[in-house]
Amino acid sequence: MSETTTRSWRWGTNRWMVLFLIILSAVFAGIFPPLRPHVQLPAELLTEPLFTLPLIGGFQLSNTLVALLLADGILIGMALLVSRAVRRGELTLGGVAAGIEGLVEGLYNLTESTAGKWAKTIFPWMATIVLLVLIVNWTELIPGVDSIGLLDKHHIENPEACTFDTLFHLGSTEVVAVGGESECAAGVVPFVRVASTDLNFTIGLAVVSVVVTQFIGLRAQGRAYFSKFFNTQTLFKTPMFGAINFLVGLLEAILEAVKVLSFSFRLFGNIFAGSILLFVVGSLVPIFLQSAVLLFEFFVGMIQAIVFGMLTLIFMSLATIGHGEAEAH
Amino acid sequence: MEGNIVEAATILGKLLGAGMAAIGVLGGGIGVGLSALGAVQAMGRNPDVTGTIQTNMILGFAFAEATSIYALVVALLILFVF
Repeated sequence: MSETTTRSWRWGTNRWMVLFLIILSAVFAGIFPPLRPHVQLPAELLTEPLFTLPLIGGFQLSNTLVALLLADGILIGMALLVSRAVRRGELTLGGVAAGIEGLVEGLYNLTESTAGKWAKTIFPWMATIVLLVLIVNWTELIPGVDSIGLLDKHHIENPEACTFDTLFHLGSTEVVAVGGESECAAGVVPFVRVASTDLNFTIGLAVVSVVVTQFIGLRAQGRAYFSKFFNTQTLFKTPMFGAINFLVGLLEAILEAVKVLSFSFRLFGNIFAGSILLFVVGSLVPIFLQSAVLLFEFFVGMIQAIVFGMLTLIFMSLATIGHGEAEAH
Repeated sequence: MEGNIVEAATILGKLLGAGMAAIGVLGGGIGVGLSALGAVQAMGRNPDVTGTIQTNMILGFAFAEATSIYALVVALLILFVF
């Protein structure tokens, strides 16, 4: 008796590769047992003061600045790639350049549908913010970020109790991966830490966004833009409601300042919480689960970049329209 | 002995404070759920404008989420800074 069964199960190769990688991660987790890295809010400093700036003081290279420079390098590389493809005179760009072109075109269409005739003024700010925050957030996904760094025993209370596996020597200092107990991990200063986990970066970006919004509003409406904040038009005609309008205008001015906080803490909180989630999941379940969290972080990083850019776009286009329509967020 | 009690009380207060600060995440969760509810209902009624609704839904998520992220930041500050 022969029965013909349709075999739904195939001898694919990709699934075996995935299984092999999972087993490999289990083996590596056995050889190098994962331990919780030290969590520190301010950025770690990599070097001694390099030079002294007026007003600000000593300049030290921090690991978030390294990440920012890395992201800047990637962005400049992207720009050079596209400009070279354009200069070659191809009618349709191919490969990576086409992808970047599609991304920029999508962003421009979004700007045009929201801002109308001010799209050309607003687009550079919005696109710069989206691309920079996107690349910066995605540096979190590069292996070795947050885990490989210099050994600095000054941060550990009793350095004798800790052992580190030296990867290689860089001058007189040792380069190590995160290891040892949690207290020992304080001695590892990572080379690269995601720039969004540094409040200096997010507040700087938020200040740029809000200040440029004021300038664009001023350019679009002239002096009338300030009547949103110091509303004295109705103050003398109807004193009662005029006073209320004046106070509402002052509230608007405060809200502009609060926008900086809301912008910066949203980005910082999302990415910092994400990197702590990666640490904790990596130290509790080192096998496979962290890949899922990395995928989640991929989406969070993308959404935060889009949200930062979209909000900048919306606030800027509201500033060009004139008062009355602006909403408090 | 006394120093130990003070140290233990400090750690206890820190952990309790961080946990209580994280209660604020509740509101953000409710907000995100409500905005997803509204967006899905709207998409069910009018599937043609799914793209627009999705964009606005994600913006709504970001606003609703922001407050809970503040709570999270406060909790993280209590845990890792003080």
